[in-house]
Amino acid sequence: MEMIVEGTDKEGAETYAQIFERILLEMGITTVLERVHLLIRPEDPLFVISVRMRKAAGARSVHEVANLEDMEGGVMVSITDENYAPRLLALLWKTYGRDRVEQLTRYEVFVSGVTRMDFWEMKIDPEEELRAQVLDAIWKLVPEGLKIRHTFSSSDVLTIANTEHGFEADWLKKAEEVHHKMEAA
Amino acid sequence: MYQVLMFDGGVYKINEFYELIEDIGGFVVQKTQIQVQILVTFAIPEEDRPIIEAKARELGGKLLDVPLAGTEIVVVGPTLGRHHMPHPICDIAETLRRYGAITVVMGLARGKGKQTAQINAEEKAIINEYDAAVFVVGNFRECVEKHKYKLWQDIEVPVVATCGPEFSSLPYCEALVCGIGRKVERMRRAEEIQKLEEVASKVQKIITDRRRDIELDPLFVHPAEIKDRLDELEAIQENLRPAPVVLHVDGVRAKVPYDKFKDKIADLEIYGRKLREIATISPSRMEGSILMKIKTRSQVESEDRSRAKD
Repeated sequence: MEMIVEGTDKEGAETYAQIFERILLEMGITTVLERVHLLIRPEDPLFVISVRMRKAAGARSVHEVANLEDMEGGVMVSITDENYAPRLLALLWKTYGRDRVEQLTRYEVFVSGVTRMDFWEMKIDPEEELRAQVLDAIWKLVPEGLKIRHTFSSSDVLTIANTEHGFEADWLKKAEEVHHKMEAA
Repeated sequence: MYQVLMFDGGVYKINEFYELIEDIGGFVVQKTQIQVQILVTFAIPEEDRPIIEAKARELGGKLLDVPLAGTEIVVVGPTLGRHHMPHPICDIAETLRRYGAITVVMGLARGKGKQTAQINAEEKAIINEYDAAVFVVGNFRECVEKHKYKLWQDIEVPVVATCGPEFSSLPYCEALVCGIGRKVERMRRAEEIQKLEEVASKVQKIITDRRRDIELDPLFVHPAEIKDRLDELEAIQENLRPAPVVLHVDGVRAKVPYDKFKDKIADLEIYGRKLREIATISPSRMEGSILMKIKTRSQVESEDRSRAKD
């Protein structure tokens, strides 16, 4: 992960870069980010963090992470890759509703009123979850008192500008510049 | 001046040890017995330490220095949010506990931010009840030197400030430890532990100076003597709060409600005097506690004289 630190308080900004690395390490998502740009001007105050995410491992089909067996009244889903268990369960709940999805054991789920073929095109996408985790790491980093926020977001770059009372026009312009620079990188 | 020490040894002939402490004019502050092992925290005149050392050797125990025993110290952070807690506030509090202090951790209601950071009168009054305060602030130089120092500006008890950037000094604090700042993990590396020790030694110096100041016009009784009497009360013996009686450098905090127990406590007798005559008894800002500030000998004598005139 490449870390770019910019700002008027070099020492303070460097410390925040280290803190961010520690937070990512603690959350186990160090490999998710490709590049991070921190712009910190405590005298304004302006705290901009921009992150560029790596392409997440592609979405996986349900039949790649679970065995599917047609039974009377529905399908028995036996999860074979436990890393995907919470996400698969959430996906089944979202698609079929809690009434039709019954979790029998930790890795066995019975879905009523469907056949194996209904799962054929169903995919589990890890990107959304990783994005949520990255966002959580950013909330953990940004100083607590900087409550006014503005977000710039594109497919793989997320930039959040933070201040205490209100943004001045050129601060947001600067944050946007950082965002575009990250997109172009 | 009194020195606080801890005896770590067995219960065999421990009464001889207590008698010796009493004979040389010392006090037992706390006893913790675990089967046949016992930890005794006590205060003795510092010139009599060799006598106690000899006795401890004779009993096969060892003596440890607990320079902060008999003090209550507050560690204050801008908020109790995850950005400021639990690191390094808890690590500092833990280090001070190891040196014998009772510590309290406190977060301010509106301490976060730069220009918005503030401390209210109630919070100041709470902090002023302790023997010393440690303020833990963050990493930005400009923020600390232009804004955050205002948090401890009006605090009356001695303040140790800790922050990330290096400063030669900061206003309104008695001591300063730089190089701590915000942390997201425990302070366990050698240089971090050294910083914690530095905080402890600064607090220690402040407390020693305060004790020396008090020695110039000594308190009428030592706080441990009041604790001894309070410990005899049923309300204290049945109290389930941790450390129901806490010693301060110049007084005592008893964790029982003021309205219910103020008269009973004020009527306690020490050296033939009522406690109300030799100490100021007031409700603590900490709910359900009573604060006692012991008057100095000269203060008691002058009050006696003015009473005699009336």
